[in-house]
Amino acid sequence: MSKSTAAAKPRKTFGQWLKSMRGQQIVCTIVFLVLPLLLLFTFTYLPFFKMVQFSFFDMRYIGRRTFVGLENYIDVFTRDDCFQALLLSLYYMAGSVVQMALALLFATILSFKVKGDKFFRGALYFPCLICGISVGFIFKFFFTHGFVLDTLLSWVGFNVEALPYWLRDESINNIVLVACSIWKYIGTNIVMFIGAIASVDSTLYEAADIDGANAWHRFKDIILPSIRTIVVLNLIISVSGALSAFEMPYVVTGGGFGTSTYFVIMDKLAHTDQKVGLASAMAVVLLLLIMIVTYAQKAVERWMDKRDSRTPKALVQTDPNTAATASSASPAKVN
Amino acid sequence: MKKAIALTLAAGLSVSLLAGCGSSQNSSGSQTGESGSTLPAYNELTVGEDYTDLKAEIKVITNRTDLEGDGTLAGYVAAFQEMYPNITITNETITDYANDMTTRLTNPDWGDVCMIPTTIPLPELSDYFYPLCDLSAIEDEYNFADNRAYDGKVYGIPSICNAQGVVYNKAVFEEAGITELPTTPTEFLDALQKIKDNTDAIPLYTNYAAGWTMTAWDAYIGGSTGDPNWMNVTMPQTHDAFAPGVPTGDSESGPYAVFNVLYQAVKLGLTEDDPTTTDWEGSKTMMNNGEIGTMVLGSWAVVQMQQAGPNADDIGYMPFPISVDGVQYASAGSDYCYGVNINSSDDEKIASMLYIKWLSESSNFSYDQGGIPVLKSQEYPETLAAFDGIELVADAPAPTELADLASNVQQDAELTLNADETHGKRVVEAAINGDETLDDIVADWNAAWNDAVDRNAPQ
Repeated sequence: MSKSTAAAKPRKTFGQWLKSMRGQQIVCTIVFLVLPLLLLFTFTYLPFFKMVQFSFFDMRYIGRRTFVGLENYIDVFTRDDCFQALLLSLYYMAGSVVQMALALLFATILSFKVKGDKFFRGALYFPCLICGISVGFIFKFFFTHGFVLDTLLSWVGFNVEALPYWLRDESINNIVLVACSIWKYIGTNIVMFIGAIASVDSTLYEAADIDGANAWHRFKDIILPSIRTIVVLNLIISVSGALSAFEMPYVVTGGGFGTSTYFVIMDKLAHTDQKVGLASAMAVVLLLLIMIVTYAQKAVERWMDKRDSRTPKALVQTDPNTAATASSASPAKVN
Repeated sequence: MKKAIALTLAAGLSVSLLAGCGSSQNSSGSQTGESGSTLPAYNELTVGEDYTDLKAEIKVITNRTDLEGDGTLAGYVAAFQEMYPNITITNETITDYANDMTTRLTNPDWGDVCMIPTTIPLPELSDYFYPLCDLSAIEDEYNFADNRAYDGKVYGIPSICNAQGVVYNKAVFEEAGITELPTTPTEFLDALQKIKDNTDAIPLYTNYAAGWTMTAWDAYIGGSTGDPNWMNVTMPQTHDAFAPGVPTGDSESGPYAVFNVLYQAVKLGLTEDDPTTTDWEGSKTMMNNGEIGTMVLGSWAVVQMQQAGPNADDIGYMPFPISVDGVQYASAGSDYCYGVNINSSDDEKIASMLYIKWLSESSNFSYDQGGIPVLKSQEYPETLAAFDGIELVADAPAPTELADLASNVQQDAELTLNADETHGKRVVEAAINGDETLDDIVADWNAAWNDAVDRNAPQ
């Protein structure tokens, strides 16, 4: 297409070209794109490139720098604390699976006619709107020994004296923090799932009903296959979120009592100890890790797609259902 | 066509970016160039007489969020403006001061006056701050004038000076039957035990959760040795600086003893049950009401505890219970120092210096905040009465060639004293979990410290 316009162009002056349909389109595109791209560049790419650059220096935030090559990266891999902290991410990864499951459950329930569904949607999304720092403070008081949670539990018969110190006890405090994270972030997942479920053709449900499918069949064979793309996307976001968990441990426990995640350590090294180069190297390593995990997930997904298409299901499924699976699987492959 | 768009965009982006960088560099460059030696030095200014018609707008950044909230800072500005009606002063306060301010200083346009963050090595002060005057010109009048000085030039004027001790509740001590203030770690732990046995108060409140409060323990290290040169000169050249008995030969003093007090207190159950949920603002009221026996904090905290409730008279302040050869020492030193932006215009610099000079000499700021006076001629506040007869140890600055040794070694070892909260927290955690002894922790610290000492050893 561009060739044909180019061939017609030489006779036009620049002014004429500018007024033409094609010219206007391009001018509009540029005008509309400049601002977002400029913001993207200044606040995402520029800092990122700077960070990569910093990771090769021994430097403080201010003052003189010395180039040290790969030394910071070697440090990241030889220090004990960095990769041990990544083990904590396993808690958050397990949490993200729970979070996905819960979000799917709520989204499915709320997608059908339920009493007060508007209220519940709002209530479940609300935590996402609160600033993470205040969520942290809320939970700090929530878990204080003898405060909110303990009182609630005593009402249902628990002995307050026997309850653990939620944030101090190293066997449970990470689980508690993960639970806080789930509470905070589940709303976004639910909203995305509800949106995806709304796009499922409702005639499929009717057909399934006629064939005697119950709610579980409906979920397993219609909804889940139809929204698989969005589930995978959410899973990727959650897993990278789990690797870079920061807010809850930073605000609620300050990284104390074995809750120091990779990010909390990075923050301490960069700000308190002013080892900006080392912290930048840690960030780059984390970025690479997240990329590897994301590609691994994508690969698994593609492999599952292939397997699915090789062995078509010959189960209780009715025709419309299989049609839905096939049609929804193809957009997923494009990704 | 897509390529054309991409190219145009890229070109546009880079041009605007370059333009942005260029202009800021130019302006800052020219300003720095102009600031010559024509300005009067800090010590030559007479507040209230010189430059009374000066017109300037200055921005002052400090860490005292509490004083901005209750209008105290605005009150100082109003009082200052009675003499200098044309100087407009904007106050800004930052909670996470040391970190935020360090980052902000990377931009030359941050404001005019700020508390100089201790993260800036002394030799680099001149890159950011205006040399106010010669050290020799004010060191006879000012306490701790050398705190932010380098090569004979003063870059920062102390805002308030602190003694490092322990805030305690006199009523609780009385109820517990403690008649004499403890002077050694053993006596202190005994006293805490008495509070636990005889009262309902928490003997020692760690304020673990607030984080920065845990850095208070570092401030006793200087006093625990009785040696003014320890912090900045000797310690960064000493192997095993945290081992028991270093440097005094007595395990009841020195850095080890400081952290041992914390470790033992937590281990013996003399602190709050759950450190993870302590509440700093609430702790002030609890201290005032006699629900807390002691807290380890600089003398600046006394006034805040007194104002947190009706029992101001119950709040007392005592030196940290460590004695070296029978003599009790207390670390003392300047809190943050006011510095003036080297990139400010001449008028703004003069206005800034006038304001700082007024704050430190005439505003009574240090006295009102319960600090050691900034001027040697000013009087000590009553809260420091218990410090009578105690040797104050001010950490002496290192000689010019070793000026950044202490901060280099500390940052290299990741034991940034007075800024890093994690090492203090680790002691509390170990005492609660019982998975590490203090000796295990100290062994770790010493290993990192020794490496850092070797790497940064002066040639």
